[in-house]
Amino acid sequence: MTKQEMMDFAQAAVEAAGTPDAVAVLTEKRNASVRFGQNRITQNLDVFKRELRLTVGDGEKQASITSQKIDIHALAGIAEEARALLVTSAPDPEYMSPVAENQKYPIIYQAWDEYTAECHATPRMKAVGKVIDAAEQNGLIAAGICSMKSRKIAIATSTGNITSHRSTAAELSFTMDKGLASSYTEISETAWGDLAIDSEIATVVDQTLSNENATEVEPGEYKIILEPEATWNLLMFLPWIMNARSADQGTSVFSGMEGKKMAGDNFGLSSSLLGGRPGAPFNEEGLPSEDVVWFENGVLKNLPCDRFTAQKTNRSPLFIPNTLDMNGGEGSVQDLISEVDKGILIRRFWYIRFVDQKTLKLTGMTRDGVFLVENGKIVKPLKDFRWNWRPLELFSNLLQIGTCERKGSGLIPPVVIDKQSFPFTD
Amino acid sequence: MKQLVQRAVEMLKGIGVDYGDVRAEVIKTESTDFRNARLETCQTIETEGLGVRVLVNGSWGFSACTGFNKDDIDAAVARAVSIAKATGGRGKVELAPLKVQQGIYSGPCRKNPFEVSREDKIALLQKASDDMMKDSRIKSSYGQLWFEKRDRIIGSTRGDLIETDLVFTQPTLMATAVVNGDAQSRTFQEGARISGWEWVEESGIASWGEQARDQALMKVLADESPSGEMDLLLDGLHLSLTMHESVGHPTESDRALGWEANMAGRSFVQLSDQGSLKYGSNLVNFIADNTMPFGVASWGWDDDMVPGQKWYTIKNGIFQEFGSVRETALLVGKQTSNGCCRAMDTQCFPINRQPNFYLEAQENGVTPEDLASDIKHGIWIEGRGSFSIDQRRESFQFGGDLFWEIKNGKKVRPLKKVIYRSRTPKFWGSLDGIADKKYFRSMGLLTCGKGEPGQSARMTHGASFSRFRDIEVGGGK
Repeated sequence: MTKQEMMDFAQAAVEAAGTPDAVAVLTEKRNASVRFGQNRITQNLDVFKRELRLTVGDGEKQASITSQKIDIHALAGIAEEARALLVTSAPDPEYMSPVAENQKYPIIYQAWDEYTAECHATPRMKAVGKVIDAAEQNGLIAAGICSMKSRKIAIATSTGNITSHRSTAAELSFTMDKGLASSYTEISETAWGDLAIDSEIATVVDQTLSNENATEVEPGEYKIILEPEATWNLLMFLPWIMNARSADQGTSVFSGMEGKKMAGDNFGLSSSLLGGRPGAPFNEEGLPSEDVVWFENGVLKNLPCDRFTAQKTNRSPLFIPNTLDMNGGEGSVQDLISEVDKGILIRRFWYIRFVDQKTLKLTGMTRDGVFLVENGKIVKPLKDFRWNWRPLELFSNLLQIGTCERKGSGLIPPVVIDKQSFPFTD
Repeated sequence: MKQLVQRAVEMLKGIGVDYGDVRAEVIKTESTDFRNARLETCQTIETEGLGVRVLVNGSWGFSACTGFNKDDIDAAVARAVSIAKATGGRGKVELAPLKVQQGIYSGPCRKNPFEVSREDKIALLQKASDDMMKDSRIKSSYGQLWFEKRDRIIGSTRGDLIETDLVFTQPTLMATAVVNGDAQSRTFQEGARISGWEWVEESGIASWGEQARDQALMKVLADESPSGEMDLLLDGLHLSLTMHESVGHPTESDRALGWEANMAGRSFVQLSDQGSLKYGSNLVNFIADNTMPFGVASWGWDDDMVPGQKWYTIKNGIFQEFGSVRETALLVGKQTSNGCCRAMDTQCFPINRQPNFYLEAQENGVTPEDLASDIKHGIWIEGRGSFSIDQRRESFQFGGDLFWEIKNGKKVRPLKKVIYRSRTPKFWGSLDGIADKKYFRSMGLLTCGKGEPGQSARMTHGASFSRFRDIEVGGGK
């Protein structure tokens, strides 16, 4: 659907609702992906999805209905179901009317690439062919996925706000194996043309071949060098639990910590709508996005806060607008390695879970590349190991921060963390 | 819906694909959620769509659309064929043989949950939430009643045509206590079942609120875990997760083939291990069963249209066979699929998923207390907590939800922050006692993540209380 068609449909849904309050969110997604494993293509898909969520309220109660009948003639029936659901709902002491009228939304053109949105199959097949050919030429086995995706969203509120946004993503991630040796990469851009496919293939081939015959980590103290992917794997648990309400309830590590130091002076975390990964201009309530500093010089500056909690506690309503950058420094992973006397280089973590949410203690494993570093050089591959760490303690001991790369939800750097004692479990 | 499926199948026949199937679904989900004694969510989600899977010259093409607009369906058919052809010979798909399937299956559902009024559901959750929040030290509570009705029709160019009608039901309750700067939660749930409202009534949710409150408080005030090697006595709800991670995933055929290496991971189990790998002690008998009553993977047929089956994954401690789909069965040395092919919805390509499976228990008259009586120092664990396992599914760390220290055969004090670590064959090799089957409890999981693009799947696991010797326990401080 065009931008205007989507906004018109969302507006029509709000009008059909016939309730004092209503918010309609219409999304349209396309995902065209080629999946491969064992050096063969195992899936080739191109799927298309449209969905409407209509939330209605009467000033006291709320209800919502989601439907995939995206047809103007179906709206009356959807609205009728929503109203029927509202009648059976219960009064909500935290009821919030839709956001006030005249919201000003940023426009983020940088999130869209027309060629990527067209989802041509041939470029994906060629990219996957290159990965598989490189694996076969080097005696390796490759598995991964290559995607072109688009997403469009339109929102309308009964208070008169109406807006839309669209974004694309081009992604290639793959793993190569040789016996127990493996390496991995994941690259993601807004535009297909910006993916550095050839250089990533060469890097992963080299890393897989250098990862053979890994040995156990010897007990002792090691600095920890995290490649950007590994930094993101740890960092992503912060936004998951950064929440003003749970902080106020005393159930999170952030309880009573707003304005206080929780990490090292060199740790910063922020959302920038025009950052390395373009953000979303609004959330699904119709609140405009804004640039936010979450951590500055290790101090917790802000927490995401829902509208009710914000009103109750004199905070501003805040949310993470689908983009999150950790502050970077200078230097590649190789530059960071060259400064380390004795350390462990980690490419990627796996299966990270909470051990204790109250202290933000996590457990996880390494995978697809762990190396011993001595006197500024990689000297040998190491076997995967388990760790139990508190990321905020690690981010309190950052010796070096390198140049950011686009990983996860934004720009993420490689880092060097001060000595940790192996085994990394208590 | 059936006519739309048959129409799309006829289109595929006209185009001349080597194989094609068309899967249509209408799914209605209803969720009522309470948070802190307040109705947070009152919603209904209705999805409908159609997925088209075709095989051309050994390569898959898959496309899908939402809604049942004929133009969108025609476009989906055309896209599926087009991208299958674009694969250009890099696919090598060969499907295991299967007789043409036709039939109808309805899952057990005595009382349609969608006919129970929303007001009754809200009243039930309100009472449970109020019970939890009666003590001011409970700072957070959550309760949910979740129901889904899933109607599915699959037809194929071979002449298969199946229809299924399944209702899923899941009640959940959780209380979080905060005392002296610590926060601890207690969750009451036994997961989802293919069942109607009767599962809500049988689950005991009416008394869960008080139990969740009291046990969350007991937990937050409890001593922290001791460390060292000790014995574990684990209940069926806890073991449902341990077996899911350390038995279910490593015995999926696509992982053993390396197809999941990029994300969900590989397996320490090799293709040559079928029939020979010592996986656990002689007491370890895992039965896979996609006909299991109430099991959330008991769908009549899988998405390959292979009928639900029952087999030993592990017998007398020896690994028997992988769970497979028609595409992987021949590659792991089997002549037919055992029916483990499922997709999250019509937007997803169906992949190899875990079946329902459980640790077999006998009528032996053994109680959990009997098992505890032979433990000098150990921990009694109920429910599910923190969980993490390496991508080859061999080295793991688990928590739990409720813990008691056992000394000289008796439960002596509640504990908190307990975690244990082990390796898969060592752990199952240390199992030396299983309680009577009357203590069997199962958990229906709804959110097993796998695949790229990621999709979730459902399966039920269960066990009776079981005893494991000399496991490394560490504090989860």
